Amino acid sequence: MSTAIVSRTQLLSRIAAALLGGYVLAWGFIALGVAAAFAAGMPFHDAEHLFSLLAFLLYLVTFLWSFAARDPRRVWLVLAGGGALMAVLASLIQHALV
Amino acid sequence: MFQNFRLAMAWVHTWFGLFLGFVLMVVFFFGSLSVFDREIDRWAIPESRFEPQPMPSFDEILKPVFEDMQPSRESVDQMRSRVDGPMPEHFDTPVRWGAYTTHRDPVLGLFAGYQVPNANNPDELVWGTRTIDPRTGESLPDDQLKIGSRFFYPLHYSLNLHWKDLGYWIVGLAALIMLVALVTGVIMHRKLFRELFTFRPKKSNQRSILDLHNLTGVVALPFHFMFAFTGLVIFAGIYFPVTHTQLEPLHDLHEVVESQETGLPHERSGVAAPIASVDAMVAEAQRRWAARDMAGDVGFLALQHVGDANGYVSIYRAGTDRIALTGEGIHFKASTGEVLREDPPPSTVERIDEFLTGLHLQHFRHWLLRWLYVLGGLTGCACIATGFLFFVEKRKRQHAKRGQIGSRVVDALAVTTVTGMLIATLGILIANRLLPVNLPARGDWEQYCFWGVWGLAMAHAFWRTAPVALGKLAPAWREQCWAIAVLAVVAVVLNWVTTGDHLLKTLSAGYWPVAGVDLFMLVSALVAVFTARRLQRRPRPQSADGSELSGEAAHA
Repeated sequence: MSTAIVSRTQLLSRIAAALLGGYVLAWGFIALGVAAAFAAGMPFHDAEHLFSLLAFLLYLVTFLWSFAARDPRRVWLVLAGGGALMAVLASLIQHALV
Repeated sequence: MFQNFRLAMAWVHTWFGLFLGFVLMVVFFFGSLSVFDREIDRWAIPESRFEPQPMPSFDEILKPVFEDMQPSRESVDQMRSRVDGPMPEHFDTPVRWGAYTTHRDPVLGLFAGYQVPNANNPDELVWGTRTIDPRTGESLPDDQLKIGSRFFYPLHYSLNLHWKDLGYWIVGLAALIMLVALVTGVIMHRKLFRELFTFRPKKSNQRSILDLHNLTGVVALPFHFMFAFTGLVIFAGIYFPVTHTQLEPLHDLHEVVESQETGLPHERSGVAAPIASVDAMVAEAQRRWAARDMAGDVGFLALQHVGDANGYVSIYRAGTDRIALTGEGIHFKASTGEVLREDPPPSTVERIDEFLTGLHLQHFRHWLLRWLYVLGGLTGCACIATGFLFFVEKRKRQHAKRGQIGSRVVDALAVTTVTGMLIATLGILIANRLLPVNLPARGDWEQYCFWGVWGLAMAHAFWRTAPVALGKLAPAWREQCWAIAVLAVVAVVLNWVTTGDHLLKTLSAGYWPVAGVDLFMLVSALVAVFTARRLQRRPRPQSADGSELSGEAAHA
């Protein structure tokens, strides 16, 4: 690894993506999961438990992927973009229900 | 950026493992101690050294105590800024009374929440707590620190750092990194199965440290993974408060539906009503549990809307007979004793969730399993500590040549979090036995001693790791091991001198909570002496550049 030229900004970007981007994706995943499952008739607390349980596993996978992926821009796009998109969808479902 | 996948994972393992490892060490160690938190409480509070008691009679013992309770001064002071006008002298409207016990508690903890007149948020309550001897109802002094369940245990999940819940978040991040470190650790090492059986204590220090790191990591891998994961699941509501922020409206919608379904009143009616015999309700709850072939000890008893016609009593089972954290709650109308509701059997998701949280929180009655938990936790500590040591061993000669101090700083921090933490732990126990009984805020002083002693150990660690900068072994390790040995024996002797409960007495009486803590400290002293003596010997000669190492060790 010492021979590889590790760009400092790239490394920081990956660390931030792993921590923050992964968090945003996990958040969006829980929000969308709970809203959609509740809308589909699942009890609220069941949906809450199920999707937060899965979200931690998702967080773990995306954390590792943030360092393994070739292109950090794609990591950001998928994590932050995907998380935001899911969160918006969740709010839309909520709006339709409440 | 990284040459290949394996190197990327090795980088993540090394650096995240290093930085969060210091937190993980604290979490694993105090988690291990928390398995016996109630027993440590007995050691720290000699008045409470008697046999565990069942939930006492509400009508005869608990009711008079609850009626006598008032919110604590701190709780009232904290609330003051969120109230229009002055605070009352006496709080007359209790909203919630609760008593909680386990099969390991001689004393009983009670809490009560009170409505505050003119509060900005009428749902916000002020709280009071009390600890009683359930045989008589007599109160125990309020400022005695339950070192096990009120200091070591919260240290395990919050670092006792409550400002903006920062401690929870740091521990949560550390738990995530524990999962990451386990997965990356497995990816780094192809020969996983062989490593299960590899330990070469006679080889170079660096090699045997790495063997031990792999061994402790791999042998207890499912344990480590489950604990980090279930720890996150337990606090999911704190880490991802989705349903209390973004999805709050959806949550409220569901709550209205739920309270219609359960038939348990959400609000007070405003009409006063007396409380019927709660003992009769407990007997009915136990009859229903017995009909379902379940152990019938009451774990948690709560009254909601006390003194109101809408008041109800909830009685939950202590889940001593299974892993899952269940309650099988039965709810009664407080004024008549009629059954309002029996909690329905859990859904599949609830079952999974109860199993995972129960696995972590261990309310079951099984002493062997309890000891295996301690062993698993300490294996985790050994894994993390050898990780630090390997980091230092691998780099210290390189750093010495180049005049860098990185490995010295890491070694000093490792000494602080490994041996220093043990010294601080013994420090609070010794302070507990030495501080005058009537000292005001004695519990606070015990905590200051803990942090003070840890600070001193840290200063010593930074001072006595100087030789690491020259590529040598730090004397700090050896010296702190001696300190642990001495302090552990001192703590045991002080327990004898101040309470008269020496080991012969506690062992012959079979009083394991106190005997166990004493024995555990004596064994720690022996291990510390053994380690110190081994460190005293001249280190084995090693090749200066570590060239005998090969394979994955060189990457790590």
